[in-house]
Amino acid sequence: MSNAAVATMERKPMPGMKVYNKKLGMWVFLLSEVMFFTSLIGSYIILRFAHPEHWTDPGVVLNVPLTATNTFLLICSSVTMVKAFAAIQQGDVTGLKRWLLATIVIGAGFVGIQMVEYVALSGEGFLPALDAYHAVGRGNPHEGPSLGGPLYGATFYVMTGFHGAHVSIGVLCLIFVYIQAVRGKYTLADHEGVEIIGLYWHFVDLVWIILFTIVYLI
Amino acid sequence: MEEQEHAHPRYILIWVVLLVLTLAEVGYAFMDLPKIWLAIGLVIMAVWKALLVALYYMHLIYEPKRLWVLAVSPLPLAVILVLAVITEF
Amino acid sequence: MSTTTTSEAHTAHAEEHHELGFIRTYIFSTDHKMIARQFLFTGLLFLLLGGALAVLIRWQLGFPGQPLPGGGILPETMAPGGIILPEFYNSLVTMHATFMVFFALMPLMAGVFGNLLIPLQIGADDMAFPRLNMASFWITPVAGFMMLASFFVEGGAAGAGWTSYAPLSASGEWTGVYLGQQLWLASLIVLGFSSITGAINYVSTVINMRAPGMTWFRIPLATWSLFITAWLLLLAIPILTGGLILLLLDQTIGTAFFRPEGSGEPLLWQHIFWFFGHPEVYILILPAMGFVSEVIACRSRKPIFGYHSMVVALVSIAFLGWVVWGHHMFQSGMNPLLGMTFVVTTVVIAVPSAIKTFNWMGTLWRGDIHYDTPLLHAVSFVALFIIGGLSGIFMASAPVDIYIHDTYFIVAHLHYVLVGGSLFGIFAGITFWYPKMFGRMMNEGLGKVHWALSFVFYNLAFFPMHNLGVQGMMRRIYDPNQYEYLQSLQPTNTFISINVFIFAAVQVIFAFNFLWSLKKGKVAGNNPWKSNTLLWTTPSPPPHGNFPEMPIVYRGPYEYSSPEVEEDYYPQDRPPPQSSSGGHTVEAPNPEPVPGD
Repeated sequence: MSNAAVATMERKPMPGMKVYNKKLGMWVFLLSEVMFFTSLIGSYIILRFAHPEHWTDPGVVLNVPLTATNTFLLICSSVTMVKAFAAIQQGDVTGLKRWLLATIVIGAGFVGIQMVEYVALSGEGFLPALDAYHAVGRGNPHEGPSLGGPLYGATFYVMTGFHGAHVSIGVLCLIFVYIQAVRGKYTLADHEGVEIIGLYWHFVDLVWIILFTIVYLI
Repeated sequence: MEEQEHAHPRYILIWVVLLVLTLAEVGYAFMDLPKIWLAIGLVIMAVWKALLVALYYMHLIYEPKRLWVLAVSPLPLAVILVLAVITEF
Repeated sequence: MSTTTTSEAHTAHAEEHHELGFIRTYIFSTDHKMIARQFLFTGLLFLLLGGALAVLIRWQLGFPGQPLPGGGILPETMAPGGIILPEFYNSLVTMHATFMVFFALMPLMAGVFGNLLIPLQIGADDMAFPRLNMASFWITPVAGFMMLASFFVEGGAAGAGWTSYAPLSASGEWTGVYLGQQLWLASLIVLGFSSITGAINYVSTVINMRAPGMTWFRIPLATWSLFITAWLLLLAIPILTGGLILLLLDQTIGTAFFRPEGSGEPLLWQHIFWFFGHPEVYILILPAMGFVSEVIACRSRKPIFGYHSMVVALVSIAFLGWVVWGHHMFQSGMNPLLGMTFVVTTVVIAVPSAIKTFNWMGTLWRGDIHYDTPLLHAVSFVALFIIGGLSGIFMASAPVDIYIHDTYFIVAHLHYVLVGGSLFGIFAGITFWYPKMFGRMMNEGLGKVHWALSFVFYNLAFFPMHNLGVQGMMRRIYDPNQYEYLQSLQPTNTFISINVFIFAAVQVIFAFNFLWSLKKGKVAGNNPWKSNTLLWTTPSPPPHGNFPEMPIVYRGPYEYSSPEVEEDYYPQDRPPPQSSSGGHTVEAPNPEPVPGD
């Protein structure tokens, strides 16, 4: 290779994954999250195969209409998130802030509704602990027979609880991104932070899509 | 980095499809079918929704194909773990 | 041109760092080289603590029921009058393994060498996410503190084995350990984040930050092995985290995921644990294999034999490692048909490891071998790993495993691969890369003495354990003499214990050498071993930013004794001579700009 050729060679890294570092990093992180939810959801599937008598038909104990609405809300928040990103892609900081705020509100609302649901369920005796479980189902008298078994309660709270924790952390991160947006940190040319919180948020939505189906509907 | 110009309106279309699928799932879940058909149908619908979110909202469809390989890498492991252990019961 | 811009940026970057005070330089540093040193410090500390626990275990087995010299300092709950209690012994075997696996081997291999080697070997100025890297380190001492604290709570430290099988571990009723077990679980949950964040950094850095010309098949094997290890960490640790959380809930709020009295499934715990646990053992050996490849090639002055097959073997081990986990559970009562599939996959996974072993031997064959300390440790790795691997073949067969499972045969196997393998690999790595980290050579004489004595006393201690196992001595047992058929093994146990004590004492030589050389070692210069990788083109130790400008890579890392140059090494970044006499064409590195630049 001639010296002239060497002199014109660019000192830039190899193309690699062909996406910028933070985006690659977020995708790689999400893979570890997939494995984490695999262990929780996988345990649920396995325990249900082993002891199907611990579970009831859908809707008997859990509130499907409320949660279906909550699912719809979370999907809406994915739309507002993607619109926030689309806004900053055009350099529209006002749009970015508006749609981020919408995402935050809806996300917090999701967690709020879930907490309301938890309070109602525990009031109906649907609890995770072996000794405390005495689920009577929706609308049934409290002295009624126990429906299902403690594995139902334990797996339910663990899966939805850790998902809810991920949503909550997502909301906190979105608030941080919102503050950065208010301070003018994101521009048409540089808005990596918005894209990567978007990826995390959509992932949380994706996990819920799976969870809602297998926990509430099957 | 540029995105395709038609990407923007698609988001709303995807949202409508997700809403329709959610309603379909809820309706389907309460139909009088053997458990196995209920489970299979619901899982198909859930996976369909998940794919829409991953491909369009997470922009995977616009990313380099090598990122797809990375993104799907944990899935075989998840399947192996669950299927293998189910054989215990 | 970008070259000037990059070097300006590097100088500015370096100058800015000179303003940082003591805390930002030594305590909360984002520089991968300082983080590597921090991991080295904590890793060696826990290696010492784990070793101390081993000495206590061997005291009980070698001199049962006798007061430990100086044991009066131990509290009454552990060893009244210096005599180790059975409950404390259970904690000892549990915590020895826990400290060694999670707080010594993993930080020493992935934490130290992942951080030190990856950016320097691929030509990057630091990791992709330096602040995340800093967080990744600091999580480790926090988790370590929790683990250490568990010794001092009521009921003592966890005593259900490092594998923490339910239902023993799910309720304090059986072991008498409550808070200690919960702290164990919580500590490992916390520690998992260190591994996961570290893995995110390693994977992203290797994929996206390679210097121009550093194609995948020009990456040194040390970085390859750490890259593959990072994938295993990324995907396996979260599974453990999930399982630990479920077990912690069983312990604290009274769920019954694994407790049979609530329809829980103890076998589910075992499956979750070993689905993590088997990739974990590859996490514990792959980096050492990478170090050994570097050292053997460099000190034999020969290219690594079969570089491509080495990479394929690493990847194969990583893939296959996900489908062998059931071989830890052959005697658990698992579905025998499922067990059969694990026999097949386990036998298959021996093949890539064998390929690597033959390749190391092929590298040494007819090489111009320099018998210095790193090479001696590296060759010991190969020999001892072979022994450990061969005992593994026996265990791979489920019927044979009926006899040897949970005996000292297994203890022998695991120590051959983890001490004979990983620890000697770590010694090879430390002695080889110490000059780059600290700017001085370790003392060769002391190094050779340490190696020779370690090798001899290690084997005297651990080889007889194969025999103990076949004779029926079970593992984790406090007092084998309660069984008449094991009483004849006492002299062997005492023999083993004495050799373990000497092996432990010999490590003082290493510690002394390490500390003494920091100040008094021979000044190293850039490339004392005359190695080819980009790492050795930098000063020892390298400055902030590592390279004055991003290097350009022209060839693979193992061009030793190349016919193209007079010297017996040909660094990766040296441009080929611009001769018109037609040397082969060196392909230009692909200068495609990175998106978002």
